[in-house]
Amino acid sequence: MAGQSKHRPAKSGRIARLRLRRSLRPHLSRTQVLLTAIFVLLGFATTAAISGTSANAILSNARQSDLVAVLDDLAGREARLQAEATRLENARQTLLGGNEYQAVTEAKRRANALAQLAGTQKLAGSGIQVTISRNLTATTLLDAIQELRDSGATGIEISDKDLAVRVVANTWFADTETGVSVSGTELHLPIFIRVIGDSSVLAPALRIPGGLVDTVQAGGGKVVITELPDVEINATVPLQMP
Amino acid sequence: MIPAIGLIVGILLGLILHPTVPLWLQPYLPIAVVAALDAVFGALRSVLDGIFNDRIFVISFLSNVVVAAVIVFLGDQLGVGSQMSTGVVVVLSMRIFANVAAIRRHLLKA
Repeated sequence: MAGQSKHRPAKSGRIARLRLRRSLRPHLSRTQVLLTAIFVLLGFATTAAISGTSANAILSNARQSDLVAVLDDLAGREARLQAEATRLENARQTLLGGNEYQAVTEAKRRANALAQLAGTQKLAGSGIQVTISRNLTATTLLDAIQELRDSGATGIEISDKDLAVRVVANTWFADTETGVSVSGTELHLPIFIRVIGDSSVLAPALRIPGGLVDTVQAGGGKVVITELPDVEINATVPLQMP
Repeated sequence: MIPAIGLIVGILLGLILHPTVPLWLQPYLPIAVVAALDAVFGALRSVLDGIFNDRIFVISFLSNVVVAAVIVFLGDQLGVGSQMSTGVVVVLSMRIFANVAAIRRHLLKA
C-alpha cells in the first residue's frame, strides 16, 4: 500500500484493480513496516476482544440487580450444599461407628423421608393453604407446583370439596371443562392447595410477577393464600410393590 | 501484502497466546476494534480511489481508536456508557457499510 501521488479517482474497475494489485505487491519500506505493525496490533486486539467477551459475556452485560440475584442464588445454594454435606458426613460417622441402633434409626429416618417424597405417608406441619376460585388452567397449576417445589415444599395436596390428590413426582395435570384433572381425578373449582413447608418462603413464591397469583388474577380469578401453623395432608398414594 | 500477512500473524498470535484483556480495558477494546476496522476499510477505499496516503491512514487509525474509546469512557462517566457504545458502534458500522459499498462499486462496478 505505497503512497500514491496521482490524486484521481478510479475511472474504471480495471484501474481500481490495477491499483489494488500494485498496492499488494510486496516491497520493503518504512511505510510497509509501520502498516504491518498496525495490522498485527489490529489482529491481536480483535482476537483478544473476541476471546474476552465469550467467556463472561452474560455476567458483564447483566444489570446490577441481576448480578445481586445471581450472587444470592449462589450463596443460598452453597449454604444448602454445605448443610447437606455436614448432614451426610454426620450420617457417615454414625454408620461407621457400627452402632446397630443408630444404623436402624438412620435407616428409619431415610425411609421416612422417602415416604414423604413418594407420598405414601400422611403429613402434618406448618405451611400454607391456597384457595383458587376461578380461572385455573393445568399449565398455571403445574407452574405453581414447580414454584412450590423449588421453594422447599415437603408435601403438596390438591383438593376440591370432595376429593383430594397427593402431588408426587409423577403427578400430571390436564384441563377439563369444570376445572382440572390431577392424575386422572377430576377436581372442580374452587380448588385448594395445601402445602407443608416454610410459609414465609412458600407464600412469596406464589406472589412473584408472572406467578400463580399474577396469572390467575390477570384472567379475573381470585387467589387466597393463608399461612397456617397446622396443615394436614391426608391424601396418600397407594404403595406399589415393585 | 506484508500488512495482510501481519494481520494473519496478529490473529494467530491472539489465538495462541489467548491474552486476557485487563478489566479496565474491557469496555473499550471492542469499540476500539470496530473503530480500527472503519479506518482499515476507509484506507482500502482510498487505495482504490488512488488517494491513499500512509500518513493519513496511520493518523486516522490511531485517532479513530482513541476518539471511540474516549467517547465510551465519557459515556461511562456520565452513566450512559452502554447507550454511548451502541451509538458509536452504529455510526462506525454505517461508515464501514458505506466504505464497503464504495469498494464494491470500484471492483465489481455494481
